[in-house]
Amino acid sequence: MKPTSRLGVFILVAPAALIYGFAVLLPFFGTIGLSFLRWDGYASPTWAGFGNYTRALSDVIFRSTFVHVGIYIVATLIVEVLLGLLLAGFVSSLRRSAFYRVALFIPVMLPMVVIAVLWQAIYNSDYGILNAILGSIGLGQWQHIWLGETRTALLSICLVSGWVFSGFYMAIFSAALNRLPNDVIESARLDGSGELKLFTKIKVPMIRQVTSIAILICITGGLQGFDLFYVLTNGGPYHTTEVPTTFMVKTVFRDGEFGYGSALAVIVSIVGLLTAYLFNTWQKRTRIEVEY
Amino acid sequence: MSALIRRLVHVCVGIYALMSLLPLFWMFYSSFKTNAQIAQDPLTLPTHFDFSVFREAWAVGGLGQYAVNSGIVTGTTTLIVLLTSAMAGFAISRLRFRGSKAIILMFTLGLLLPIQSYFIMQNQEFEWLNLKDTRWALIIPYAAMGIPLAIWLIKTYVDSLPKELFEAARIDGSTDVQTFRFLMLPIIRPALVTVGIFTALGAWNEFLLALLYIQDESLKTIPTGLLSFSSKYATDYRMLFAALTMVTVPMIALYVAFNKQIVAGLTQGAVKG
Repeated sequence: MKPTSRLGVFILVAPAALIYGFAVLLPFFGTIGLSFLRWDGYASPTWAGFGNYTRALSDVIFRSTFVHVGIYIVATLIVEVLLGLLLAGFVSSLRRSAFYRVALFIPVMLPMVVIAVLWQAIYNSDYGILNAILGSIGLGQWQHIWLGETRTALLSICLVSGWVFSGFYMAIFSAALNRLPNDVIESARLDGSGELKLFTKIKVPMIRQVTSIAILICITGGLQGFDLFYVLTNGGPYHTTEVPTTFMVKTVFRDGEFGYGSALAVIVSIVGLLTAYLFNTWQKRTRIEVEY
Repeated sequence: MSALIRRLVHVCVGIYALMSLLPLFWMFYSSFKTNAQIAQDPLTLPTHFDFSVFREAWAVGGLGQYAVNSGIVTGTTTLIVLLTSAMAGFAISRLRFRGSKAIILMFTLGLLLPIQSYFIMQNQEFEWLNLKDTRWALIIPYAAMGIPLAIWLIKTYVDSLPKELFEAARIDGSTDVQTFRFLMLPIIRPALVTVGIFTALGAWNEFLLALLYIQDESLKTIPTGLLSFSSKYATDYRMLFAALTMVTVPMIALYVAFNKQIVAGLTQGAVKG
């Protein structure tokens, strides 16, 4: 349809375009530009070329943030996506499941900071409930200063993440499982396949597309993780839970290195986009066409 | 499936659900205990129920102010996103004009860009324009971040409507802006509900930008406000639990009342984005 007037089109599109352009697009290109400068935020910036990038690649702490975030992503794929899939399988096989669907989704909608402060209390070594429970059931030797020890801090954060998002992925998978056509499931049942086989051999392959979206959300979301890390450990102890974004925020807003921080931002964004792109092409190439 | 296995699954999922709810339950009942009770015996239930702690956290602890700020920021953001995205989504979907492809491409880019790729320079923009420590420093970026996905969802919805509908309005002499106002807005309500839910929750819960842009205590939203509350009352466990309870219980109540729409809004927002 041709617009009735150019002014009409302008009135309709301009507000969204201006807000988005001003607060996202412009600063996006600005950040790329800034990554080639050396700048403390006040004095006049100097040209750095690729200096910030070469510095980033040899920065031991920055490199380690990718290891930590990699561990976090692998762990959350298990305690969020895989657990969510299993829960969806279990819950969808039950007749009365409304309670579980509602209850397990609660943490998803709460502010991450609120969850982080709550779990700080749970992990607290003085009055936290985790150590109290371990002590009361005779597992006192399992007690830890969960967020303060290098061996437990990162995994403790992964656990919180699982507590929040397993319900989210359960909801996604439940919706997909409920959309499956009944005749296929029924005919498989008539052919004598048990519930377990039905789930692993028929239902899960049929919702494959949803699974790959879930994995992608988990990976890209993990790379951007900040709130939990900032509140629970802020990268500590000894940078063992430092992730790209906590490190970036420290570089820019504590050390005042705007150019270097921007280079880190560009690298992290490229890694994220590249991962998503590679994952998508790989998925497309290996997809088994299931029609339903 | 045999009845025995079904019962077993019920018990397992039930135990898991109870374990999941335990942290929230613990948070709730601990706000009724004294600090000494919490420290000595974190597990035991409270002996009596004193609600004055909630009043104290709300007024003295400043929680009330944070809630008001969150309400203003969330409400304004959601209104802006709904209105601007509905207008743009309609124009992009239904009108063929020069540059429409470029505009679609520009908004699609926004679906891909992570917040990390622009927040450093955005902070600088707001610094130069003296927007930091004002509510606009949150409303503008929250709206800007919500718009691409909102436009995408609305455009998809409008694409699915029969084009005869719009052509009929045209023949009746309605201009595009009138068509938008009187035909489009009423019929895309389902899409607006979805967009409204994830935009509002996103704004209500956002932390990184709120942390960087707002230092003024009287303007802080709930996430950053709760963080300063928790450092101010680090040893007053009772107050901390009361604050957590007051932030979460209304949200849980709201969620239980509208759980179908909220689950659909959040999962659709994520999956299609």
